[in-house]
Amino acid sequence: MTAPHIEVDDLIISYGPVAAVGPVSFKVMPGQQLTLLGPSGCGKTTTLRALAGLEQPSSGRIRVGGETMYSGADGIDIPAEKRGLSMVFQSYAIWPHMTVFENVAYGLRVRKRPAAEITERVHAALDLVQMSRFAGRAASALSGGQQQRVALARACAFSPTVLLFDEPLSNLDAKLRGDMRIELRELQHRLGVTSVYVTHDLEEALAMSDQVVVMRAGHIEQAAPPDEIYNRPRTSFVADFVGSSNLVEGRLRPDLSADGLIALDVAEDTVIYATSYGRSVKDDVTLSVRTVHLRVTTHRPASIRNVWAVTVRRAVFLGDMTQLHVIWAGREIVVRCTALDGIAAGIEAWLSVDPAHCVVLEA
Amino acid sequence: MRRIRRTAGGLAITLAVAAISLYPVYYLLQAAFDVGDPDIRPPTAYGLDNFIAIGDYAGILGNTVLVAFAATIMALMFGFATAWILNRTDVPFKNTLEQAMAVPYYLTPLLGAFAWSLLGSPESGLVNQAWVGMGFEGPLIDMTSPLGIAWVMALFEGAVAFVMIGAVMKSMDPSLEEASQVMGGSRLHTIFRVTLPLVLPGVLGAAIYVFAEMMGSFSAALVLGTPARFYVITTAIYQLVSQYPPRIPLAAAMGTSLFAIMFVMLFFYRRMITRGSFVTVSGKGFRPRVIRMGRLRWVMFGVCASYVALAVVLPVLTLAFASVQKLTVALPKWSDLTLEHYRNAMDMNAVRQALGNSLMLGLATATIGVLLAFLLAWTIQRSKLPFRGALEYVVMFPQSVPRLVFAFGMMWAWLVIPLPIYGTIWLLLIAYLTVFMPLGVRTITGVMVQLDKSLDECGRVCGASWAMRMRTITMPLLKPGLYATWMLLFVASVRELGASILLMGPHSKVITPSIVESWFATSSELTAAMALIQTAVIGAAIALFTIATRRASQHKV
Repeated sequence: MTAPHIEVDDLIISYGPVAAVGPVSFKVMPGQQLTLLGPSGCGKTTTLRALAGLEQPSSGRIRVGGETMYSGADGIDIPAEKRGLSMVFQSYAIWPHMTVFENVAYGLRVRKRPAAEITERVHAALDLVQMSRFAGRAASALSGGQQQRVALARACAFSPTVLLFDEPLSNLDAKLRGDMRIELRELQHRLGVTSVYVTHDLEEALAMSDQVVVMRAGHIEQAAPPDEIYNRPRTSFVADFVGSSNLVEGRLRPDLSADGLIALDVAEDTVIYATSYGRSVKDDVTLSVRTVHLRVTTHRPASIRNVWAVTVRRAVFLGDMTQLHVIWAGREIVVRCTALDGIAAGIEAWLSVDPAHCVVLEA
Repeated sequence: MRRIRRTAGGLAITLAVAAISLYPVYYLLQAAFDVGDPDIRPPTAYGLDNFIAIGDYAGILGNTVLVAFAATIMALMFGFATAWILNRTDVPFKNTLEQAMAVPYYLTPLLGAFAWSLLGSPESGLVNQAWVGMGFEGPLIDMTSPLGIAWVMALFEGAVAFVMIGAVMKSMDPSLEEASQVMGGSRLHTIFRVTLPLVLPGVLGAAIYVFAEMMGSFSAALVLGTPARFYVITTAIYQLVSQYPPRIPLAAAMGTSLFAIMFVMLFFYRRMITRGSFVTVSGKGFRPRVIRMGRLRWVMFGVCASYVALAVVLPVLTLAFASVQKLTVALPKWSDLTLEHYRNAMDMNAVRQALGNSLMLGLATATIGVLLAFLLAWTIQRSKLPFRGALEYVVMFPQSVPRLVFAFGMMWAWLVIPLPIYGTIWLLLIAYLTVFMPLGVRTITGVMVQLDKSLDECGRVCGASWAMRMRTITMPLLKPGLYATWMLLFVASVRELGASILLMGPHSKVITPSIVESWFATSSELTAAMALIQTAVIGAAIALFTIATRRASQHKV
């Protein structure tokens, strides 16, 4: 088993007496991408900046490539300029008084590389982001998307082993963001560089990462691969933040639980079957049921479990999908589906869901 | 370990700067409370007698308040009217007017005082000559009266009020007014219920600031008031220090009182601008809504143009008019016109030397000052050094002491400090650097806060050391701001009066006090010529510098 490239242990960052982050711990394996995901103010950017050395933690430990970068206990705090990491900033931080070439060459000049090598590597980096044509251009004359690419080239040019991304796509428009997402992922694979990525955008996190760490109020809510984060959220916060989800509370019915499924009473004569995925089950349970995993049909489906007759209260057309609000067990449930088959507001229909998609939450 | 070293470093810098900006105040206080033998230093006894003695000069305090109050009212009227017209109406030639509003700052109130004295002294003033010549009784205007002095001060401080009130108006979100109109509020209703309450705290803040400046202002009262034995507190202090025998303790007590009053007022001013005003909170610039004035806009233009005429054009023309006459009269004959005053001024060794010294000092102050101000601004804004809040406070401290009083403290200090600096040009350099440091730091900070922090952070992550980041990133990006600061410091030094008049020695004369000496000792025509030469030299320096820096910055982009 290889050693992790980045290790963060019990990191705490405080502003005065208030702990802004922590304690948080996570590991990133060589060549992998870890994404810190969460709403604004959750401490993800602060954590990344501490990793870069731009923010001073109050305790804990950061190791990169086996070297201790910060250790509260041993009084080690390597300054940012000595850590040898690289970073793409949210504002891009393209120096407006330099040309594109000079921007990208900066890290190499700092390292006093010979001129020929600088020229070669800057052009290689610019090629990587398809910006070679712009090498002589003043950086202040670039569009947002171009600045983004230059920032990326600059971060890669001196071949760092670790790349940090602070919401690099948040200032781009939606279409460009979608394209850049894929490009970034490919680039990261090609360079084989270990990266830590910060975003509040769910799709970005799921599409680009090997590992996702969901943060909230300075703490880690769940750390897992993207599909697990999506399919098996650990807490109601993760279920809600990562895609839209219905949270259903119920009382355990041990007598009906069978076949590896557990049964819950959610109302009088309404029972729902769910999957615990090895999590401990208490008497009062909260389930997460994704809006896209629920199905509404005009004909009764064949399955025996988790099928109920419901009334469709409202149908909201959203483009790719239609959002239905149905009354089920005395509450409103949100369903998102693509095929409508004559379903409209006011009609009686059947609601069904696979018990594997009804996930028991830990908290 | 690192943290301890940092704390020590921060404390050391803060204490060092505090020592430099506070020792004059220490010596000032020492002199103010000195009731012992006047010939022995340090004092043999302390007491409040000197402050009690100020009571005998209650008239001077009354004069000071009267002049400052009248001048503040007038300056605010000028400032508010011009700020409102230039920001909120469709006045024609807006840009030209706006640029013209900055000129009074470069002209100095001293020049205005000379000119208005030539125009409006009760006996020989040109306006009064003409008035009597037309067959009317007695003087029409009297510039040596309190109101006359206030008028001259207000004309020049009006430009400051304009900038401050204009900033308040620019920072007001126009949608706040639009909301009132959409809800059905009439235009007048909107002005009284929305606009005025919103700008009022800012205007009040400007009023306090201007009043404090007026209390400490010196040159207009010196030129216009002293010959008529009308004293305000600053001119009284100067008189007490420079007369024979000097009355140092009494002057110190007056200086201390003035400083205390200004300190309290500026404290309230700072509190008002940091928390009082709703308007400045957002810190965001808006494009204020422009009111269409129709034909009235030419009236608005007239208001702004006459302010510029009274503060700039008329004084300069008057001085030029006087400087080419043997003896100033309202209607000179062609044969009486002469250039001899310019020739004399240029031939006077004192003038050449003083001008040379001033330019040298200006160069040195601006160059060293920009560097120091940059380092201090960076430390306060961008470093993580402990005590940087306290550092900001001590750096800005000299701002709340009138320069004359500050220089008085320095003079008193350097008489006993065993370094042979007293009476030399070096003392002036130290004085300029200290009293203008707040100006430099404030200007650079203004540009620095607009600089995205991540530009420097990115350099760090790329592996660049502090020195390299300064050289390749921060300094080049701040270049326009650094040039502007250099210019401000240079102009401020070359035209400085309050501090120089006390600190210059017989072999370290500088230009502005020399001009004032000439005003009292020789003819006003010669003085007019000297003042115009100084103005022309400053103007030429500005022009040269602007051309040079413009060329330098064009190279880059």
